[in-house]
Amino acid sequence: MPGPAIDLWLEWRLSSQPWLRCEGFSRVYEVDRALVKRMRAGEQRAFDDFFKASAPRLVAFIARRSALDPATLDDIVQCALIKAVRNLASYRGEAALLTWLTEICRHELADAHRKAARRPAHLSLDEPSSVPQEEQLRAPQNQEPISQLYATTQRTEVMKVLESLPAHYALALEAKYGDGMSVEAIARQLGLSATATQSVLARAREAFRRRWLETSADAGYGGSAT
Amino acid sequence: MTDRPQTPFDPDPGVERMLTHALATQPMSEESLERLREVVAREWRAATDTIERSIPSWRSRWVALAAAAALAAVSAGLWLTKPSVQAVSIGSMTRLAADGLEVRSGFFQQRRLKSGDSLRVGDRVTTGGPLLVTLARGGTLRIAAGTSLSITGSAELALERGRIYLDIPPESSAVTPLRVATSAGVVEHVGTEFEVMSDDRAVRVRVREGRIRFLGPADTIMADAGTELLATPDKPIARRSIDTYGGDWLWTAALAPDYEIEGRSLIGFLAWVSRELGRPLDFSDARARQIADRTILHGSVHDETPLDAMSNVLAATSLTYEIRGDTIWVSSGP
Repeated sequence: MPGPAIDLWLEWRLSSQPWLRCEGFSRVYEVDRALVKRMRAGEQRAFDDFFKASAPRLVAFIARRSALDPATLDDIVQCALIKAVRNLASYRGEAALLTWLTEICRHELADAHRKAARRPAHLSLDEPSSVPQEEQLRAPQNQEPISQLYATTQRTEVMKVLESLPAHYALALEAKYGDGMSVEAIARQLGLSATATQSVLARAREAFRRRWLETSADAGYGGSAT
Repeated sequence: MTDRPQTPFDPDPGVERMLTHALATQPMSEESLERLREVVAREWRAATDTIERSIPSWRSRWVALAAAAALAAVSAGLWLTKPSVQAVSIGSMTRLAADGLEVRSGFFQQRRLKSGDSLRVGDRVTTGGPLLVTLARGGTLRIAAGTSLSITGSAELALERGRIYLDIPPESSAVTPLRVATSAGVVEHVGTEFEVMSDDRAVRVRVREGRIRFLGPADTIMADAGTELLATPDKPIARRSIDTYGGDWLWTAALAPDYEIEGRSLIGFLAWVSRELGRPLDFSDARARQIADRTILHGSVHDETPLDAMSNVLAATSLTYEIRGDTIWVSSGP
């Protein structure tokens, strides 16, 4: 692993000159490439590492981007992972393995949304419930409709802003604040040193803050990220 | 690096709070994660086997050559004494994935099969993608990717590895029950839908409808719908209850045979969807039931999964549906 100075230089090149990304990252996905090679050779431990590192994060990745029911989201992740393990040969290490997997998930999610749009929306008013009636009269404050609506709206807006950022910024922010990963773990994923990763996170946060304020101003409601 | 913040490593509490709040998600339950792991691992093992078969090492090539030379002598003898009668067909290929299918009859005769061609007694099938076979005796055989099996008789299959699903009408079992031989024993159907999975470590049988008989080396076990039997080496056969619907059965629904809706009743179509999804069908009101009884369908739902087909068909009627619990509820009007 090169020293922090080289990593910072590489990170600057990636963020300021995105067309250099493939060249810059060609060395940092060796670990992912090696993992896939071991999986293709049938090594059980490689599969275990792959599943442990990717499945929970893909579930969260999909959940953040869709309001579909949890069972459907689980099915989407299942389909995406099955497609991935069937097509390991097509992973060439040009992006992080997780990025490759998230792209498969995006396609599966788009398919699921298309199918969901074709189905009739019909909610039952007489769905049986095991919860006693009196306990349903007052929802916890954070689950009241207005709180839920606010939370859902804010999540949607945050996701829109994240999706507009460079992919490695969004990935780093999701890893840090959504998946609760340490800086060291994110560094391993990005193939950078801890110092360079902190720099990536700082830039990502700043890019997010600026874009959030721009979006809030465009939408006409006084958003604040500070 | 001109746009570097004043204090690059000091996070902005407002941004951090917002991101933490907005990006929080409910983690998947341990049970769901384990189930997901099991499904993906199975596909990975199947895919890995396919890779290993398609890229033989130099050593395995020499071994294969030596084995081929030995087998050539044997097959020459067999060729001279082979029966002249045509092998019995057990069914025809109805849907093949483009991922490849290898069918061998005898030692060397590799056959290229396309949709409509017959599977015959003596064939050994290795699938690279999912395969649907319409059985001559009635019902279907669905074979998952990465499965190897042999057709050992007109009513007998030998599953070496992979996963199959059999959907046999009850009347078909009255004459000769269909049997699936595995490394752990023989599964004999008693008019049913069931899945058999076999790999290096275990044989698993899941009964979705009806009943099966499992003839193990030590004893015979009957298993009804909603039961899973798991046979592992040196352990007694484990039995547990399972759902007959949901993610574990999606692969079978994806291989469901096409349902011809032209001129058939809506109620018949809904019963087919209910069976394919393993979910009971019910009506929220009497009017919905009447409409389903009286409506005759026209058109086609070819190449659609049962759920998509139901969505599209009901969208053309005044009926709607929802899946509540394990049941498909159909109702009239919004």
